[in-house]
Amino acid sequence: MVSGIRYVLKCVETTGFILASVLAFGQDSLFIARGTWDQLPEAPEVIRLNASADWSNQNAILEREAGAASNLVIVNSDSTSHEWALLNGDAEGITIEPGDTAVVELPALAMGTYRLGLIDGEGGGLGAQSMLQVGLQQNADFDLFHWNLCDWETNQMASWSNGTEPDPNAAYVPNYFSINEQTYPTTLEDPNALISVALGDTCWIAVANHGQMDHVLHFHGFHVEVLTSNLQPTRIGWSKDTVPIKKGEGITLQLVANQAGTYPVHDHNLIAVTNAGFYPGGMLTQIIVDP
Amino acid sequence: MSTIQHILRTVALITTTWLATSVHAQQQPPQLFSGMEGYTFLPDGTPVPIWGYGWVADGFITLPAPLLTYTEGESVQLNFTNPSPESHTIHLHGLDVDQANDGVPGTSFLVTTGDDATYSFDANYPGTFLYHCHVTTTLHLTMGMYGMVLVTRPDLTLYEGGPAYAEDVPLLFSDLEVATNLDPVGSFPFHDIRPDVFMINGESGSQLEAPERIVHFEPGQRLALRLGSMAYSRVVCQFPAELNATCYMSDGRPLPTPFEPDALEIYPGERFTVLIDPEPGWDGSLPCEFWSMVDETLESVENIHIRDAALNVDEPEFTSAIGYPNPTRDQITWNEARQIEVWNAYGVAVSNVRFEQGVLDVAGWPAGTYVARIDGVRSVRFVVIE
Repeated sequence: MVSGIRYVLKCVETTGFILASVLAFGQDSLFIARGTWDQLPEAPEVIRLNASADWSNQNAILEREAGAASNLVIVNSDSTSHEWALLNGDAEGITIEPGDTAVVELPALAMGTYRLGLIDGEGGGLGAQSMLQVGLQQNADFDLFHWNLCDWETNQMASWSNGTEPDPNAAYVPNYFSINEQTYPTTLEDPNALISVALGDTCWIAVANHGQMDHVLHFHGFHVEVLTSNLQPTRIGWSKDTVPIKKGEGITLQLVANQAGTYPVHDHNLIAVTNAGFYPGGMLTQIIVDP
Repeated sequence: MSTIQHILRTVALITTTWLATSVHAQQQPPQLFSGMEGYTFLPDGTPVPIWGYGWVADGFITLPAPLLTYTEGESVQLNFTNPSPESHTIHLHGLDVDQANDGVPGTSFLVTTGDDATYSFDANYPGTFLYHCHVTTTLHLTMGMYGMVLVTRPDLTLYEGGPAYAEDVPLLFSDLEVATNLDPVGSFPFHDIRPDVFMINGESGSQLEAPERIVHFEPGQRLALRLGSMAYSRVVCQFPAELNATCYMSDGRPLPTPFEPDALEIYPGERFTVLIDPEPGWDGSLPCEFWSMVDETLESVENIHIRDAALNVDEPEFTSAIGYPNPTRDQITWNEARQIEVWNAYGVAVSNVRFEQGVLDVAGWPAGTYVARIDGVRSVRFVVIE
């Protein structure tokens, strides 16, 4: 599937090319950008895939129709080269030099939640990974939300920021855990991390795990149905209140809001509901169902 | 005195008073209580402090907490009292209860020290569920505040139209980090908790080899393994082919397509119901691996021993662990006990243990809660009053 990604063009004249490519292909763009994750006290340097040249702490989410190939424009606004890939199966990326622009062809994909992002150590380690939602466009039948899950070790991030590869033999001790690059309680300020619906509504939740470890989401108050999964296809159709999201997995869940109230959703690996060791925090959000 | 020592001493005194009143409450409907002064014992006999739940009528907490069993369709009133020095709740994990009864501080009610509460819900779905405290959950769970809930059907089928079975076998996986349980306050930062004891129904290693822990089966009579995890680890059950295992349910719902598991992964908070129909004459183990969720290292393999009942041999009887009187001022008796070891509320071994013919002399001991291990195999709590 990944081999279907085609490196179409490489151009130094970024700004003009983007305008031309958007006009030509009618597609959105991703900007590889470097900035500061100011939500964390350590304010670590991070890399993101932004939807525009304006900096955002959150990676941009892409949508595509099912079964249709499309193009994607990627601009490397960073000062170092990066390797980008659609993370579906064996990742085979393309290298984009600083200031360069690439146009890649995304293959026709079945409905589901897919991961994409930078696969070079620095780009992945500093968090430039996001989600491709295929065939999940919101319509009158359901609301759509997304959760980009990740775990972070600030020591590792500091190493990448300093241009040093982290010691591969050092124990991994993640100290932050995020949904859409937000840690609780700021997850409640993100309209995609917080699920706010009316009683009787159906919603779909696209979930991707970009971290270095598996996560397992527990839903209070509800069971959800697994609609799609790239790593656990045998679980499609299962009704669950506790859903493992394996490292590298993209999964789509359906929730029917059949009772009113406010209910937490959180990682049940409980080290992940902390911020720098403090409880509550991390991978924790809520479902609010208005009566 | 450290903060936790102060907590334990306070608990011991509160418990002394509270136990006396519980005698009068035994005719009341079953009621859970929360405590922060219990112990579990490692296979080598080392006592490890735990927090947890127990039945008021019993007067002690257990690891895991008591099994709660309900019938499908039952309207449940779960009574709870909290005599411990910290606030606690009961979260009914997977039962999809309403917000008010969800057991989450902030969105549901908190049961503070000295308070009683009742959790109300309808057991609408048969299956395997869990319960646990949801206050500072990362800590309270690793301290031991969790148990299993079974919702069953009178006709012993798993669900309407589902397969029949002969008997439920609850198997709750969990783990703990000894250093955290010894010093909960000093366990910060919580993201650094790394379990080093891995348990099935609160026991591990050689404890699971005890005769009363062996799961016996009658050939042709299917057993329902109720598998649930409150561990911080990922558990993988490696089913031997001779068990003829079929997985029918997860998280209290039937699976669209039952499957025959080889290696069944159970993540923290997940549950599975697996029917086994072992080969006649089979006597073996179901290995359960505990894998670190952080770095994917294999931490431990704990075994569930399963044996054809026809192969069973007479096992030696253990000395009764029921001591009397309890609470006591002067002495407590365990009939025919040959060895008695005692720890105080701080986990320190009491060195001047004097006993003769099962009678332990406690005259002059400081008032409080103690833990005795009888003949190296049974542990029980007793209370000395002034």
